[in-house]
Amino acid sequence: MTLEALRLAAADNLWGAIMPELMLGCIALLLLGLEIVLPRRLHGVIPDVAAAGLLGTLLGLALNWSSVAVGRETFNGLLFHGTSGQLMRVFFVLSALFVCLLARVTLPRHTAPRVEFHHILLVVTAAMMLLAQSNHFVMLFVALEAATIGLYLLVGYFRGSTASLEAGLKFVVMGALSSGLLLFGIVLLYGVAGNPALPGHTTQALHFAELSRFLAANPDNFVASLGVVLVLAGVAFKIGAFPFQIWVPDVYQGAPTPVTAFLAVASKGAGFAVLMALCGQGGAFAAYGWLTTPVLTAIAAATLLFGNIAALTQHNVKRLIGLSGVSHAGFLLLGVIASAQTPMAAGAVYFYLFAYLAASFAVFGVMAHVAGQDDSEQELDHYHGLAKENPLLGAVLAIGLGSLAGIPPLAGFMGKLFILVSAFQAGARALLAVAALGVVISIYYYFGWIKAAFFETWTPPSGEGAGPARPERSPVTPVAAFVLGALALASIAIGFYPGPLGELLTLR
Amino acid sequence: MISASLNAYVAVSVLLFAIGLLGVLIRRNTLVVFMCLELMLVAATLALVAFSRHNGTMDGNVLVFFILTVAAAEVAVGLALIVALFRRRRTVQLDGLNTLRN
Repeated sequence: MTLEALRLAAADNLWGAIMPELMLGCIALLLLGLEIVLPRRLHGVIPDVAAAGLLGTLLGLALNWSSVAVGRETFNGLLFHGTSGQLMRVFFVLSALFVCLLARVTLPRHTAPRVEFHHILLVVTAAMMLLAQSNHFVMLFVALEAATIGLYLLVGYFRGSTASLEAGLKFVVMGALSSGLLLFGIVLLYGVAGNPALPGHTTQALHFAELSRFLAANPDNFVASLGVVLVLAGVAFKIGAFPFQIWVPDVYQGAPTPVTAFLAVASKGAGFAVLMALCGQGGAFAAYGWLTTPVLTAIAAATLLFGNIAALTQHNVKRLIGLSGVSHAGFLLLGVIASAQTPMAAGAVYFYLFAYLAASFAVFGVMAHVAGQDDSEQELDHYHGLAKENPLLGAVLAIGLGSLAGIPPLAGFMGKLFILVSAFQAGARALLAVAALGVVISIYYYFGWIKAAFFETWTPPSGEGAGPARPERSPVTPVAAFVLGALALASIAIGFYPGPLGELLTLR
Repeated sequence: MISASLNAYVAVSVLLFAIGLLGVLIRRNTLVVFMCLELMLVAATLALVAFSRHNGTMDGNVLVFFILTVAAAEVAVGLALIVALFRRRRTVQLDGLNTLRN
C-alpha cells in the first residue's frame, strides 16, 4: 500500500465527529489521575467531576446537535453519524448521569472504591455511544465488547458480597457465550459476502451498506441466513429477549442497584440501537426480512409473555423490575419488527426508550433509597408505609411505575401507543393481541408494588421466628429530590405533550 | 505444497464451535466452561483467517487481532471473578452458585 493510499484512507478520519466519546475517555483517565494527585480527604469530589464531565458532554452534544458530521460516514465507513445516533448518544449520557446519582446513594453504604466505578462507567458509556453509531461489524464487535466487559466489572463490583460476585460470574459466562454466537455469525457473513464465486460479492464484506447490497443480490443463501440468525441471537442475549433471558433475574438481583439500572436502561438501549441498524428500514439485514421478521416475531411474542408471567410471582423488587424489563424488550421488539415496513416505528422505538429511561430511573432512584446494607435483598415488604413516611419517594415511585405500566396520560402510555399504532400499520395483528395481553398482566404486578408502598402499613416483626428488620432507608438529599422530582415531572410532561420529542423522533 | 480446501477449514471451525457451545451448556465446572468459551472464539478466528485467505481481503485478519484482545480482556475479568468467588465459597462448580434464587 502506498503512502497516497494511506493518506486517502485517513482522509475521512473526522476526529471532531467523535468528540463526545473522546471527551468521556479523557475524563475517565482524568478521574484516575485525580485519585493519584489529590490528597485522600478530597477524593469525595472525584465522582462529582465525573458527573460534571457527563453534564458537559451532554451540553456539547446539544450545542452541536446538527454538526457537520451528521449524515456522514467517517473513519472509512466504520461509523455513521445519523439523527438516531445523536439521540442514542444523548440517551447513554443521560443514563450515565442518573447512574452517577444512584451511585451517590448506594456506594457510600458499601466499602467499594468509588473512583474506579465512575471510571468504568464513563468508558462503558463512550463504548455504547460508538456502538450506536457503528456502521461496520469490526466497530460493532469491538464497541460491544468494550461495553460488555466494562459491565462485567460493574456487575461484580461489590467484592465483599457473594451475590454480586455470583451475578458477575453468571453475566460473564452468558455474555461471553452471546459474544461467541455474535462473532461466529459475523464470521459467516464475512466469509460468504466476500466469496468471489457468488454474485454481488464485495471486498468490504463487514461494512453494513456493502453487506446489505450483497444480501439483496443473494436473497436465499443458507450460510448468510445462518450468520444473520447467529448475529440476532447474540444481540437477543444483550437485550434479554426470550429464550436468552435466563441471566436477567439473577444478574439484576446480584448487581449493585446503580448497575442494575444501567443494565436495564443503557445496555438494553444499546442492544436496540444495534437491532435498528441491522433490521430496521435500510438496515444491513433489510433484504433478509423474510427471515428476520418471523424470527423476531416469535422472540417478541415469547418475550412479552414470559417476562410478564414470570414477574407476577416475584417478591424481590430487583428481580421484578428485571423481568418486567424483559417484557419491555418484547414491546420494543414489536417496534423493531414494524420498523421494517413503517417509517414511523423507528421514531416510536426511540420515543419508547426515552419514556422508559425517565420512568426506570425514577423507580431505581426510589429503590436505591429504600435498599439497605444488603443490596441484593430488596423485598416488596420493605416498601410498606413508604408513601406515608416519605411522600416524595412514594409519589415518584407511583408515577414511575405507572409510566412503566402504561397508564394514560404518562409517557409510558404514549410510548406503548406509538408502538402499537405502528405495529398496526405494519399489519402485525397477532403480535398486537399478545402485547395487549402483556400490558394487562403487567398492570397487576406494578400495582402490587404501588399497593405495598401506599396501602400497606409497616409493622415491625415481633416474637420468635420473626423476619429480619426492615433495612434503614437513606435520607433524600436535595439534589436527589430535585432529580427524582424532575424525572417524575418529565414522565408526566412527555405524556401530555409529546409534541417536540415526537417530532424530533420522526426525523431520520 | 499441500493446501487444505476452504471447506476443510470451515468444517474444523464449525466442529470446534459446536464443541465449545456444547461444553458451555453441559459442563458444570466454571474453569472448563471458560475454556469452552475460549474455544468458541478460537473457532471463529480460524474460520476468519481461512475466509480472509480465500476471499483475498484483509478485514478478517484485522478482526482476528481485535478478537484476541477481547478474549484476553474477557478472561482476565472472568478469572478475577472466579478467584474472588472461590475465596468466599471454596468451590468452582456452577451448581455451587445458588445464592441468587427466588
